[in-house]
Amino acid sequence: ARAQPKKKKKVDVKREQAQKERMKKKIRKLEKAASEMIPIEDFMTPPKYLESKRVRSLPPLSSEEIERRVLLMKKWSLYKQKQDEAEKKAIQTLVASQQAALKELRLESEELYQAAIKRDEGLFPFERDGPNYTPPLPDYDPPEGKCTDITKVYTQ
Amino acid sequence: DARVSCHRHYRSRPTHGIGRFKYLLPKEAPKKRKDRVQMKAVNVGTEHEYGDINIQMTSYDMCLVEHFAKHVHRLCNRLSIRVNESYAMPTKTNEVLFLEERGSKMQLDAVLTTHQRVVQICGLSSTFAPILLEIIQSNQPEGVDLLVKEHTEADFKMRLKSRPELEELLAQMS
Repeated sequence: ARAQPKKKKKVDVKREQAQKERMKKKIRKLEKAASEMIPIEDFMTPPKYLESKRVRSLPPLSSEEIERRVLLMKKWSLYKQKQDEAEKKAIQTLVASQQAALKELRLESEELYQAAIKRDEGLFPFERDGPNYTPPLPDYDPPEGKCTDITKVYTQ
Repeated sequence: DARVSCHRHYRSRPTHGIGRFKYLLPKEAPKKRKDRVQMKAVNVGTEHEYGDINIQMTSYDMCLVEHFAKHVHRLCNRLSIRVNESYAMPTKTNEVLFLEERGSKMQLDAVLTTHQRVVQICGLSSTFAPILLEIIQSNQPEGVDLLVKEHTEADFKMRLKSRPELEELLAQMS
């Protein structure tokens, strides 16, 4: 009557310890394996686009059309070049005026200069939605509905 | 190796070991695990230099997002800002259902895929940061949302697969 409860305690403790060690070993094994990245569906072409090799047959272009296109391409590239140069110039002027302002500030007061150079903690996170082609309609009544997330969940 | 391909070595001849070159190449580091902890860079420093910053671009249109990410990457290269990585986050798919006017059944309207690209930069100076933001904003295409934030471990963990077994065991342990 006295020996039995003692046995139970020992056996239970041993069993529990053995279980814990087994779990720890499993955890260590799983942790050893490197975690994998989720595969990105954008980069996997769907098989239906790999199968058939049907080629589009375009009509032949007249020489005037070809010339028109070439001249248009040249005008477009020139326009884009001017745009790009204007952007680079804008960056340079921004940086230059910033440096000039900081120089003046330094001459004015050292404290303010040091405070101005410090990084802005409130800058990040910065969020901005892209512009839209058309503004939202003022009196639009959308139908009721819902949006469900059907992304494929990958597990390791 | 040239030494191993011919079956006689001619060790007494001066041409022994001719063709060996692997010992001249720099030693390659062993293949690291994918679970690399990111570098927590110069976050301290009252002056200049933010740490790792993520520029995340999201949109429903994949071409626009990829082109914009390419543009931002090339812009950073041009302005000699160090780009750590430029990667894509997993695509999210949403099913939009709407209630028909006459009837109680939900009808499928569309299946939308949201694409996200991230450009990670490091070492942005505090004076230049607002300028960079201005330029990126001015080139932002329609429908592409911009989010600029500091890189955290949670952002990195979002790219990894979930491990339910490991989580279960850990929950059982504690």
